[in-house]
Amino acid sequence: MSDVAQATIAPESPAQQALLTPSQLAWKRFKRHRLALISGLFLVILYLITGFAEFFAPYEKTTRNIKAIYAPPMSIDFFDTEGNFQFRPFTYGYTLTIDEVTWARKYIEDPKQKFDFYFFSRGESYEFWNLFKADFHFFVVKDEDGRLGYFHLLGTDQLGRDVLSRVLYGGRVSLSIGLIGIGLTLFLGVLLGGFAGYIGGFVDRVVQRIIEVIQSLPTLPLWMSLTAALPAHWSSIRVYFGVTLILSFFGWTALARQVRGRFLALRDEDFIVAARLIGGGNTRVIFKHMMPNFMSHTITTATLAVPGMILGETALSFLGIGLRPPIVSWGVLMKEAQNYQVIVMTPWILFPGLFVVLAVMAYNLLGDGLRDAADPHNIGGLK
Amino acid sequence: MSHLTTKFIIFLLGVLWTFSTNAEEEKEQWPIEWYEPFKTASEIGLTEFQQSPYLVDQDLPPIEERLPVDPIVVYPLKETGKYGGTAHIVNNDLWQFFNWEAALTISADMSSFFPNLAEWYELSEDGRSLTIKLREGIRWSDGEPLKSDDFIFTFMHLWHNKEYQSETYRLIRGVRAIKIDELTFRYDFPRPRPLFVNFVAQYGDFMIDPSHYMKQFHPDFTTKEELEARVKEYDMFNWTQLVNDIRREGSEQSVHVPTLRAYKLVEASPSRRKYVRNPYYYKVDPEGRQLPYIDAFSSEVVQEHEIMAAMASAGQLDFAAFQMRTQDIPLLKLGERNDIIKVHIWKRLHSSDVAIQPNYNHEDERLQELYFDLRFRRALSHAINRDEINDIVYFGEGTPRQVTVHPTSRFFKPHYATPFLEYDPEKSRALLDEIGLVDVDGDGYREHKDGSPLTITLEFYDFETPKGITMELVLEYWREVGISLNLKNVNGDLQRERAIAGKMEMTLWHADRVTDILFPLFPDWWVARSISWDRGMWNDWSRWYMKRGQKTPSVGFQPNPIWHLKGERIKGLGTEPPPAMRQLQDWTDQMWETMDEAERLRIGQQILEGGVENLWVIGTVGLAPHPVVVSKRLKGVPLEGIWGWDNRWTLANHPHTWYIDEGQ
Repeated sequence: MSDVAQATIAPESPAQQALLTPSQLAWKRFKRHRLALISGLFLVILYLITGFAEFFAPYEKTTRNIKAIYAPPMSIDFFDTEGNFQFRPFTYGYTLTIDEVTWARKYIEDPKQKFDFYFFSRGESYEFWNLFKADFHFFVVKDEDGRLGYFHLLGTDQLGRDVLSRVLYGGRVSLSIGLIGIGLTLFLGVLLGGFAGYIGGFVDRVVQRIIEVIQSLPTLPLWMSLTAALPAHWSSIRVYFGVTLILSFFGWTALARQVRGRFLALRDEDFIVAARLIGGGNTRVIFKHMMPNFMSHTITTATLAVPGMILGETALSFLGIGLRPPIVSWGVLMKEAQNYQVIVMTPWILFPGLFVVLAVMAYNLLGDGLRDAADPHNIGGLK
Repeated sequence: MSHLTTKFIIFLLGVLWTFSTNAEEEKEQWPIEWYEPFKTASEIGLTEFQQSPYLVDQDLPPIEERLPVDPIVVYPLKETGKYGGTAHIVNNDLWQFFNWEAALTISADMSSFFPNLAEWYELSEDGRSLTIKLREGIRWSDGEPLKSDDFIFTFMHLWHNKEYQSETYRLIRGVRAIKIDELTFRYDFPRPRPLFVNFVAQYGDFMIDPSHYMKQFHPDFTTKEELEARVKEYDMFNWTQLVNDIRREGSEQSVHVPTLRAYKLVEASPSRRKYVRNPYYYKVDPEGRQLPYIDAFSSEVVQEHEIMAAMASAGQLDFAAFQMRTQDIPLLKLGERNDIIKVHIWKRLHSSDVAIQPNYNHEDERLQELYFDLRFRRALSHAINRDEINDIVYFGEGTPRQVTVHPTSRFFKPHYATPFLEYDPEKSRALLDEIGLVDVDGDGYREHKDGSPLTITLEFYDFETPKGITMELVLEYWREVGISLNLKNVNGDLQRERAIAGKMEMTLWHADRVTDILFPLFPDWWVARSISWDRGMWNDWSRWYMKRGQKTPSVGFQPNPIWHLKGERIKGLGTEPPPAMRQLQDWTDQMWETMDEAERLRIGQQILEGGVENLWVIGTVGLAPHPVVVSKRLKGVPLEGIWGWDNRWTLANHPHTWYIDEGQ
C-alpha cells in the first residue's frame, strides 16, 4: 500500500508538497486508507438509498402483501424453467399452501406467475418526504399483462411487509438518529469542554464533576429509565427526538474531556499567547487560532461516536423502550425478529441486523481512516 | 431369519401402521361419563381400592381409610392409565394441570353442573337458598375431614371480612353461609339467586379453605398477640396479606396449607415449584385405583412467552398450553415432526380474541361524545378487515365475529355475531364524514369537530391471545380511514391500575364469559355492572350500579339516541348511567333473580340484542384454534377441546386421569 502511495506522491517536488493546505494533506493521507475509503463510499451510498427510500424501496414500509406472509426471499432469474435465457431479469411469484399437518405456510415458485423487472418505472404511489405524491420507483415487477406483481428480495415479515423496504425506511431513522445525536453531542461537548478548558478554575471543576457523575452511571439502565419517562401520548416523531436527545445527553462527556484537554494544552502555546498579546479577543483567538487545531480531531471523534449512537438506538428499540412502531427503525425491526420462531422458521427477518453490522463497521473503519488522516504528526509516506 | 419371516414382519408393521393412522383420523369421542354426574364406587360395584406404589413406604393409614366412604369414580379419556412419573410444566399451566376441586363442577359440554365435593345440592323453590350436602369422608391432604365449616370460614370470615375484602361484590353482598350440620350447609340470599349454582361450579374452588389450618391466622379465632407473633414469623405486614399469600400459594410457607386437589405443594422457590400426589385424594378410576396417575410434577417459573414456546417445541415440557398462541402452531408442529411432542388443536371459546373497548366514561368530554355516537363505533368496526386478520394471524381457521355468546349457548342467535362486521372502508369513511370528523390540516388523519387533533391511545396488556399483532393491523386499518391510533403496551400491573381507575382512552381483552356457565351471571360485555382489570368501558357507571345499586324506575329500552342524557357524577359513587344502560342493569338484576328459565332466556337475549344494536365493544376474530402441546409420553389429553376461563380450560377433561407412558 505504501508503495502505491509513494508511487503517486514521489514525483511531486517538496515545493509542491509545501503548497498543499492542511486539508489537502489530510485528504492525501486519507486516500491511502483503502478500507476507510470504501467504507466512506459505502456509507454515502447507504445514506443516498435510505434518504431516497421512497424511490429505492419497492414498497412503502407498511404495505402488506397478503399473498406473502412470512414469505422467504425471492430470487432474480435470467433463465426460465425451460432454460431459456432472457435479458430482462424476472422472478416467479409464489403460490401459498398451508400445510394441513404442520400448519406451515409453504411458498412454491409458480412458473405461471412470471414477473419481469422494469427499472425506473411507475409502481406503488408514495408521498416523497411528505412533500409531494409520486409513484416512480427504482424498479417494479410486472406480469405479462403489465399488471404490478410483487418481489421481495429479502422476504416478508409476519404481516406480509417487504423486509427490504422496511430495512431502507428503517435505515433512514437509524442512520439519522446517529447524525442528529452527534450534532447535539458535538455542540454540547465542544461548548462545555471548551468553556472548561479555556476558562478553567471553578467552571472547569464543575464541568469535570458533572462529566464524572454522568460517566459513572451505567448507561443502559439510565437510558431505559429516561425513555420510559417519555409520555405515552407522545407521537412517534416526538419520541424519536426524545430518544435522540437522551442519547446525546450522555454521549458528550468523552468529547468534552478531549476538547478541554486540547484547550488546556493550546491555551499556553506560544502562538496563542502571542495572538492574545497583540490584542486578539477571546472569540478571535478561539475561532481563528484554536479551532483549526482541534477541529479535525473532533470530527474524527464524532465519526467514531456515530456507531455508538446507532447501536444505542438499536439496543433501546430492541428492548422495546426506544422507538416504537409505527416508526420503523433497525432496532424496531430487530425487536420483531427477537424470538426463537424467527431463527428456526423465518431467518430472513434477521436481515436488519446485518445492515446494522455493516453500517457500524463502515463508520468505525471510516473513523479509523479519518483519525490517521487528521493526525498532523502522521506524515509517514508523504515525505 | 428366513426371508418369509422378514416379509411377514414388514406386512404386520404395515397393517399396524394403517390401523394407527386410521385411528388418528377418526374423530375422537369423549367418554359418555364426562357428560353425566359422577358415579360412585358403590354404584359400579367397586369394593377393592389400590394406591400408587409411590405411597407404599409412607407412614399412612390404609387406602380404604383415606378414601371417602363412597369415592367418586372418574373415567379417563380412553383406557385407564398407569401410576408413576414426574411431569414437567411451566407455572402458567398450573391451573390447567391440577384438578380444581369445588363443591360443584361443570359438565364437558358446558351445559350443566354436577355435584363434586357435594353429594347433592338443592336450590330452594323461591331461589333464596342453596343447600349443599358434602360427601362423607373426604379428607384434606393432612388427613383432616372436610366439613361445612371449611366453606363457612371462607365465605363468612374472609369474603365478609371488611379487612380482608374491602369491597364485597353484589353477588356476595348480604349472602350468608349457614351451617346445618357437619356436612350440610346452605347459602342464604337476600334476593333470589338461582345463578349462584353457576358461580359455585365455576369459581367454587376459591370458596373453600382448610379452616382447621387457616383459623390460626384469623383474628376471629386467634388472640391478637398470637396473631401478631405469627404475622411476624411469616414476615408479613398483617394477617390479610399472610392469608392471601398462603391461599394463593405465593410463598414457601404455602407448603403447609392442606389441599383437596390431586396434588399438594411440597416445594416453592422463586424459580420452581414441586407438587406431589395428595394421598387423601378422593377420586378413583373405574378399576378402583386412587387418582391421580402421575405421582408428581415440577413447575418452572418462566415469564417470556417466546421461551415457553421454544421449550414446548423442544419437548422440554409435558404439557404447555396457556400461553401458547395460534401463530406458534407451525413452530410447535416442527417439534411434532421431530416426534417429540404432539400438538392438539383446541378451540378457544373466546367470542373474540380481541374485544376493543372504548372508555365511555373517559374524562375527555370530546372523546366521550365521540364514543357515544354509534356511527363512530360502527365506523371503527367497518374499517377492520377481519378476513385479512384471520388469514394473517389465524391461518384462516378463526371466525370473524363481534363479541357475543358462544355458539353452544342457548342464548345464541347467529345474527348476534355479525352486526357491522363487514369490511367496508368506504362506509366507514362516510360515517366519519357524517359525524363531522374531517382532516383539516391534511396530514391524513381526521381531527375533532373543533379542529383539535384526534388521537386515540389504546393501552393493552399483550397476554394470552394474539393481541399485539391484531392491533398492529387494526392500527393500519384505522389509519386508512383517517383515525389515528396510538398503541401502548403495558404490563399486567399497569393494566390493572389504569383499567380500574378508568383512565384508559381505550383498552382491550379477549371476550370470555360468553358461555351458559358465565354469561347469565356476568354479562360484562353488555352491561356496566362491575369493575375489573380487563374492562375499561364504563367504570363510573359500574360504580354507580355497585354502590347505589338499588332498583331504579325502568324506562323503555331506547338504544343510541338517548346517550346525551348523562347522569350526574357523584364522587366515589360513580356516575348515573344513561337510561339505556340503567335498563340493561335492571335486566341483569332480573336475569339473576328470575326462577323461570324461559324468562331468563328472554331477558338474556334482550341484553344481547342491546349489544347488537349498540356495539358496546368491537370484536375481531374469535373461536380461534389454540395449540395444546402434549409430550410424547403424556397420555389421556383429548385431541380436541374447548379452551377458556368459562369452563376452566381442562377441568371437564379430568387432568388427574392423564398419565405418563414412557413406552419403549
